[in-house]
Amino acid sequence: MKEFTRRLCGSVAVLAVVLALNFVLFRVMPGDPLTGVMDPKFSPEAKRQLAAQWGLDKPMGEQFVLYVREMLSFRFGLSMMTGRPVWEEISSRVPNTVALLLPTLVLSAAIGIWLGVKAAVRRGSFTERLVLWGGALSFSFPSFFLQLVFLMCFAYAWPVFPLRGTTSIPPPAGEMASLIDYLWHLALPMTSLVLLSFGGWALYVRNMMVKALGEDYVLTARSRGLPERRIVWNHAFRSILPPVLTILLLSLPGVVSGAVMTETVFSLNGAGRFLLEAVNSHDYPSAGAAFFLLALITVLCNLAADALYNIV
Amino acid sequence: MKTRLAAALVMLLAWPSWGGSSFDISAFRGPRMSELYYVVIRDTDAQLLAMETGKLDVLSDIYRPADVEKLAGSDKVEMSLASSFHGFFITFNVRKFPWDRAELRTAASMAMDRRRWTRDLFSGYAEPMTSFLPAVSPYCEPPEPRPQGVDAARRLLAEAGWTWNTKGALVSPEGREVPKTRVFCPPSSVAATTTEIAWMAADALSAIGAPAEAEPMDFQTMLARVDARDFDACTNAWGMSRDPDVLYSFYHSSMDVEGGYNLSGIADPELDAALLELRNAPDEASARTAAGRAQSLLAALMPVIPVYSRYSISAVRSDWDGIFATDRVTSDNLWTLLSMTPRGAGEADRPIYWNIPEEIRSLNPFVSSTTYDWTVLGTIYDSLISVNPYTFEDIPWLAESWSIDMGERGSVLTFTLREGLLWQDGRPLTAEDVRFSILYVKDAKIPRFYDSVRDVSEIEIIPPRTVRVFMSNTSYWHLHNIGGMIILPKHVLEKVEDWRTWQPARAPHADVDGLEITELVGSGPFVFRESRTGEYVRMTRNKHYMLEVGR
Repeated sequence: MKEFTRRLCGSVAVLAVVLALNFVLFRVMPGDPLTGVMDPKFSPEAKRQLAAQWGLDKPMGEQFVLYVREMLSFRFGLSMMTGRPVWEEISSRVPNTVALLLPTLVLSAAIGIWLGVKAAVRRGSFTERLVLWGGALSFSFPSFFLQLVFLMCFAYAWPVFPLRGTTSIPPPAGEMASLIDYLWHLALPMTSLVLLSFGGWALYVRNMMVKALGEDYVLTARSRGLPERRIVWNHAFRSILPPVLTILLLSLPGVVSGAVMTETVFSLNGAGRFLLEAVNSHDYPSAGAAFFLLALITVLCNLAADALYNIV
Repeated sequence: MKTRLAAALVMLLAWPSWGGSSFDISAFRGPRMSELYYVVIRDTDAQLLAMETGKLDVLSDIYRPADVEKLAGSDKVEMSLASSFHGFFITFNVRKFPWDRAELRTAASMAMDRRRWTRDLFSGYAEPMTSFLPAVSPYCEPPEPRPQGVDAARRLLAEAGWTWNTKGALVSPEGREVPKTRVFCPPSSVAATTTEIAWMAADALSAIGAPAEAEPMDFQTMLARVDARDFDACTNAWGMSRDPDVLYSFYHSSMDVEGGYNLSGIADPELDAALLELRNAPDEASARTAAGRAQSLLAALMPVIPVYSRYSISAVRSDWDGIFATDRVTSDNLWTLLSMTPRGAGEADRPIYWNIPEEIRSLNPFVSSTTYDWTVLGTIYDSLISVNPYTFEDIPWLAESWSIDMGERGSVLTFTLREGLLWQDGRPLTAEDVRFSILYVKDAKIPRFYDSVRDVSEIEIIPPRTVRVFMSNTSYWHLHNIGGMIILPKHVLEKVEDWRTWQPARAPHADVDGLEITELVGSGPFVFRESRTGEYVRMTRNKHYMLEVGR
């Protein structure tokens, strides 16, 4: 309990630092929201009005106090890009991103772990070579290329999947039809992402398992005549579970922050592009809120990983 | 394939009933289709696939030569190409040596082979710029051509007393060796052709003895350094408009301030006088004279080198009739939207799918800033006057006539509205709506419209349909600033609590034709119905539109 309290305090301190850095870093980065207004019809006076509209004419100390108040209340202020509340912007995009990336993470981890274990168990076999080659290919393939090939094949040449978005235009009537339509739209991006990410898991788990299967306790278990399946999953795999779980949990912030390239190719309305555009346009409230939330999720996942270490 | 594109262009130019300077808007009656979707497809390759499979009907801003040729080769798509108001420049920092010397800037301009660059980089889908306004501008007056090439440039420098030292470096008449020039540009991952042009420009400068190299950097960093005037030379691209008063923003010495657009820092009394004359021109003829004079002075001073102007290229599915384009306007325009119908007799009414490559950020007309926001808003809101797509002259729109006169203190604009105008919710559009709209944006000091309405001193209504706008100074451009402003309904505007946070697309307003509509009410051809962020915007035909069939 004492250790957990110590870690909790450390996490709060990390969040406080992130909060302050979010404010400072975006303001010391080259450019500001006004630099992006490249319209010669905007006179210097009109630009000053724009600065006032966004509260950039206030003293820096006052801006910081306002910023901290907005962040801690989880209101996050108004987006400079859209004029809408930042919370509304983020919460309208995160469900799409999570719906795409969470199943992708689970599927790619499950497939990768299973293949990694199989490859480690059948060392020197065709299966291992296939997993090694397949894993390396999956891990290193450029995502946009595979996704464009998918579009060409399954949305153009053989048009069984849609080209874009998360809904048909016009959307189908009825909740069940909408849900099926939604899943149909996510099928192609999700399949491509699973193909692109299972390899990393397979290679990592295979390497860890090869090491684990050579350990003395595995030899002891074999000498006791335990079934191979039990040795592999209950002894060897269990020993590599803590780092695997840590990686899985630390991948969760990525599930929220989105996959910019995938969102671009498949025209998905996700959090990744919003975050990128917020940073590029110096939308301080949106970028600050997004990074603060990501830091919060990372810290929470770290705490969860620590807790799970004790369980497994 | 290029022949095919050229043939398409010729065909569009030869369109029978709408052509010429006597453009008649009454020849248009529409919109004819009852539903319009603005569809978000971000990836360029996905856009092409969508065009070919019929998931899209209209695609704008096709800029990659390979895409143009691919689409031009398809019998499912008709292309149109037009000169545009885009302009690409290389800007020198004339505040410091050696770019404070006009003869060196002129020689640099002569050494840059824009024609070859344009051909090599854009496969001909761009035109070299010959003046400081794009060729399509009615005010573009190219100066007398100078001899081009590195040899001619070196001769000019030699005649002006410049020499070359033993290392081949250029030395000024007072004996100062020209230091290395860094041409700022965005990285090739962001703008490949811009980076390439920066390198070509650096090579051309080096060829006349002014050592130079391109310096690609993060775009925001580049903007910040140029804004702080911390640069030797940089690349700039601008989207300009039909009015040449933009020259004032770019080259008047008073605009060399923080937030101002005189990036080069040029300050010349004669040029300042010509630009002031242009800005305050009382009528079109004076404006034309002042614009010509300013361009001729700029050609002598050469603070920036005009490089090229991109063509605007768009595509429409060939299963539509009524596509309208000119040599100045591509087919993705309001006239097409009004007149397009499915090809073939008896074809049923079907939706139009129009691509927007980015999601709509905001449909609050007071804060919307992106082209795509305004693509949608442009079909909802109207202005008092519009633009002849052949000549870029003014044509009647909400106002059936107008005049610009000299008052005691400044220009007086008089607009007489058409008879029987209605808002999309069925209420009458009156002179009071016009007065209220202008005063609303002036009183609220809304940045986007601030420069347009700043000089409005008073507005008077002469019943039943005439509005007189008194300006505090004289300028012909007031007509375009006020006449081009969108007009909003007073009955909606007076309920807006805070224009900054107003979300008209989400606030229910009234029931029209059995459908709920929002506060996003204008007088344009399409009524806003629904926006799904990042997916699409749905619009339906405005049955109260002034050009509606049968009205």
